[in-house]
Amino acid sequence: MSSYPGATSVTDSQPLQGTQKVGGGAQRASSPAGPRPRRKATDWRQRFEITVLAGPAIVVFVAFVIFPVGLAAYYGFYRWKGFGPPIDFVGLGNYVTIFADKAFHEVLLHNGIIVVLSLVIQGPIAIVLALLLNQKIRGRSIIRVLIFVPYVISEVIVGTGWGLMLQTTGAVNDLLQSIGLGAFRADWLSDPRIAIWALMIIISWKYIGFAVILFLAGLQSIPEELFEAASIDGASYWQIQRRITLPLLGPTIRIWAFLSIIGSLQLFDLVYIIWGQYVASTAGTSTMATYMVANGRTSGNYGYGNAVAVVMFLISLAIALAYQRFVLRRDVVAGAVTERKK
Amino acid sequence: MKRKIRVAGILALAVATALVATGCSGSSDKGGSAGGKVTMTFWHNSTTGPGKAFWVQTVKDFEALHKNVTIKIQTIQNEDLDGKLQTALNSGDAPDIFLQRGGGKMAAMADAGQLMDITGSIDASTKAAVGAGAFKGESYKGKVYAMPVDVLPEGIYYSQDLFKAAGIDTPPTTMAELNADVTKLKATGVAPIAVGAKDAWPAAHWYYNFALRECSEATLEKAGTSLKFDNACWTKAGNDLKAFSDTNPFNQGFLTTSAQQGAGSSAGLLANHKAAMELMGAWDPGVIASLTPDQKPLPDLGWFPFPTIAGGAGDPASMMGGIDGFSCSAKAPKKECTEFLNYTTTKSVQEAYYKAFNAIPANSDAQKVITEPFLKSVLAAYSKAPFVSQYLDTVYGQNAGNALNTGVVDLLAGKGSVSGIISAVNEAAAKG
Repeated sequence: MSSYPGATSVTDSQPLQGTQKVGGGAQRASSPAGPRPRRKATDWRQRFEITVLAGPAIVVFVAFVIFPVGLAAYYGFYRWKGFGPPIDFVGLGNYVTIFADKAFHEVLLHNGIIVVLSLVIQGPIAIVLALLLNQKIRGRSIIRVLIFVPYVISEVIVGTGWGLMLQTTGAVNDLLQSIGLGAFRADWLSDPRIAIWALMIIISWKYIGFAVILFLAGLQSIPEELFEAASIDGASYWQIQRRITLPLLGPTIRIWAFLSIIGSLQLFDLVYIIWGQYVASTAGTSTMATYMVANGRTSGNYGYGNAVAVVMFLISLAIALAYQRFVLRRDVVAGAVTERKK
Repeated sequence: MKRKIRVAGILALAVATALVATGCSGSSDKGGSAGGKVTMTFWHNSTTGPGKAFWVQTVKDFEALHKNVTIKIQTIQNEDLDGKLQTALNSGDAPDIFLQRGGGKMAAMADAGQLMDITGSIDASTKAAVGAGAFKGESYKGKVYAMPVDVLPEGIYYSQDLFKAAGIDTPPTTMAELNADVTKLKATGVAPIAVGAKDAWPAAHWYYNFALRECSEATLEKAGTSLKFDNACWTKAGNDLKAFSDTNPFNQGFLTTSAQQGAGSSAGLLANHKAAMELMGAWDPGVIASLTPDQKPLPDLGWFPFPTIAGGAGDPASMMGGIDGFSCSAKAPKKECTEFLNYTTTKSVQEAYYKAFNAIPANSDAQKVITEPFLKSVLAAYSKAPFVSQYLDTVYGQNAGNALNTGVVDLLAGKGSVSGIISAVNEAAAKG
């Protein structure tokens, strides 16, 4: 989730170039000097500069990302209670247990549901809102701020607030009762058939502002002339949206979908706040991350928890790479084309 | 000019990096003695009210008696304590003194060499006042690893006013009577029984008590070491719980009700007369007192033992019960740490403990000052009980204990089955 704010600036005013950078991955970033002819005299200085400037970041990255990932993989091969060094080597035993565990199958299903529903619910609504807010209407900036506010509020506050309101004896049920819709009262958080939908409502409410802001930025970078030309040619409003806006917004939508998928796969905080340490699996809202904490940290099975972390990492990595390969790649090519035209 | 700026920038970056790097490694004022001065850290779970104040005062008094000792208190919310403690022990940065839950959790810490053996450091007066029973509960393989400060037998706390309003004159003694009372209470519009299933263990305690009634003492003790639940009584206990929960005795939305946090918690429901009963250990009066509107003890609080059932193998007078104790970590300064533990069991401190927590102090001399009728009935039942079992999740340790608790919650939520409770524990064994 922490990757969201960074992405906002990437797509700020030049979405095509921005997506190209994200999509292009490491190769592009590793040759910042570009095709400029180098002079020998400055060569060592440049290298020194790069080393000094990038060094701390690389050290921090290796120490706090690469090293822990490696350690997790190492611990994952042990049955380890967390006290002292691990000695009980079980090979792939933990992984066999994970994939045989019914609770883990449920977790995968929940994560899948959250990924799909996040895209299906938030995407269309956010596009419509962005189109609406791209018009010159009164109070536009206030509406924009209001839509973005939930995204800024911390997950803990959102979780606590919604958790209290959706209690069986909470505000939502009271409201339904008092406006004569008592038949729709429900155990929003405890009923396994409803709880995941309650979670989806909260997630949509929380993250839709982010999608809207992203799409608005994308919309504003579409040249005005295209709309003018289309309307001169007699295109209707809907035709313009369908034929011009949406295709040109495509790269932004794809980047948003990428961030949304990764966020959904790693969802933890909202579930943990609302359902606590134990009952997320009972309510049918457990995710890979809450499974990891419940079966790793809370149960004191640190070896097993590390194995779950590795599985989670591999699943996210595989999905991210597949998405970049099959979906985001077209944006890289398209970006290069527009760049050349400029 | 430009180059100067660049050089300055690099310098600034280097300095910043250095600061960050040292920030990571700094600040490790561990306990230990330097020039006779000893600093110890102390973790407990009383985050509010008189309980918190009691520990502040006790530490202050102890420091006044031992000028060279400084004790830093850190309070940690009850549900967070076990996880944080394990993390701290793993990282080698353990607190010197900390709350000890006993059972399998204590065994795991002792096996890992994280606990100080205090067998030889217990004062004779403490031994006499606290009694062998409580020390037995804090022992593992013949060594004492924690100092008991209170005894926490379990039973059902109830509101006498709500019982009267429902036309119930005497508290139930059998399951049949309890079921009848639940029906009467429902008619008055209050929740008959509050249970904080969000924290899993309060719901699981219902299963423990049914197991205590269905299973013999020998069966319970055997399962504690073998972690095998093959005796038929475990299933019978599950069936009892299922039958009871099918009568919907619990508060609405109990699955997302926590045990102790705020007015919406199960203790809060009892404190505010929204629910009539709660199955809890003897710490409950103190928790309830901190959640009443005026933050004073609930005046109409009553207590009765878990009802008996027909045809169980367990003794009808047996009880579930825990002991709160405090351990020293293996690295703590031995003399000062054990001195503090001994100090907590002295009569005056124990009397203050009782007043702060409304709980039964471990020191039998201090137990004489108990005035509340409900605590007197707890104490009476406790001294008559032929067998007091530790809470099962504590006995089975964190891994199997958590799985057991979650299995019970699944059953109550209508998601799992009776056999699911037992298979959950077996599956957990594969994970650790």
